[in-house]
Amino acid sequence: MKYVLALISEEGGMEDASPEEMKAVMDRWDSYTRKAVENGAFIAGDALQPSATASTVKIKEGEEPVVSDGPFAESKEQLGGFYLFECKDMGEAIEYAKGIPFHDGTVEVRPVMDFTDLGYEDFDPGPVKAAA
Amino acid sequence: MKYLLTFYVESRMADSSPEEMKEGLERWNAFENEAVDAGALIACEPLEDSSTATTIEITDSGERITTDGPFAESKEQLGGFCLLECANLDEALAWASKVPMNDGHIQVSAVRDLSQYGYDSHTAAPVRAAA
Repeated sequence: MKYVLALISEEGGMEDASPEEMKAVMDRWDSYTRKAVENGAFIAGDALQPSATASTVKIKEGEEPVVSDGPFAESKEQLGGFYLFECKDMGEAIEYAKGIPFHDGTVEVRPVMDFTDLGYEDFDPGPVKAAA
Repeated sequence: MKYLLTFYVESRMADSSPEEMKEGLERWNAFENEAVDAGALIACEPLEDSSTATTIEITDSGERITTDGPFAESKEQLGGFCLLECANLDEALAWASKVPMNDGHIQVSAVRDLSQYGYDSHTAAPVRAAA
């Protein structure tokens, strides 16, 4: 079963970081990601650019989509990245969430909906590396 | 360049009749097939209702606080996402305007390249290469 881990945190914490501090933080994320790949859990995952660079498209039935600058919600904490993992159950997904190398932040774990029995095609490539 | 489209929606398709559901899924299949054929689609997933979410807060002292429910108790909740390979933001916005949602918001965020810090993205390439 697939789960999304939405990574939500306050932005700007790393702006004053030295290259060494930045590298140390990235090393922790890199080893977390590599472990998920090795475990056969990792399908996709990426960091996002600051929310100030986001655009939001408003969709309303019968109307043209309206594009505006900025993220969906103007909150202090913003979506900063995500992982899509293959896990055996919610418990395993929560364990992955607890292992996220956040200094300070929140992880929302959500099961992916399986519509394939209703004729929905699922194109995702599956885990990058199969479980051992 | 990769872009993440996150969908924020109020009502869920799960509340629909089987006919509405089928029609909705056909529109999604058509959207995704178009994105696959264009060499843009990396992953696209609908999410279970936000009531099924678990939220884990990680504090600076290293604590992990687990609560039931989504991060934000807002009316519109994350309902799915699409990760797309696009030439630029305009192309990503063009895909966003084609997403077969009836009502809601789509946030379009550019993926950050962290390779200069030694972080490699392991995310797979698009399902099909661009023609």
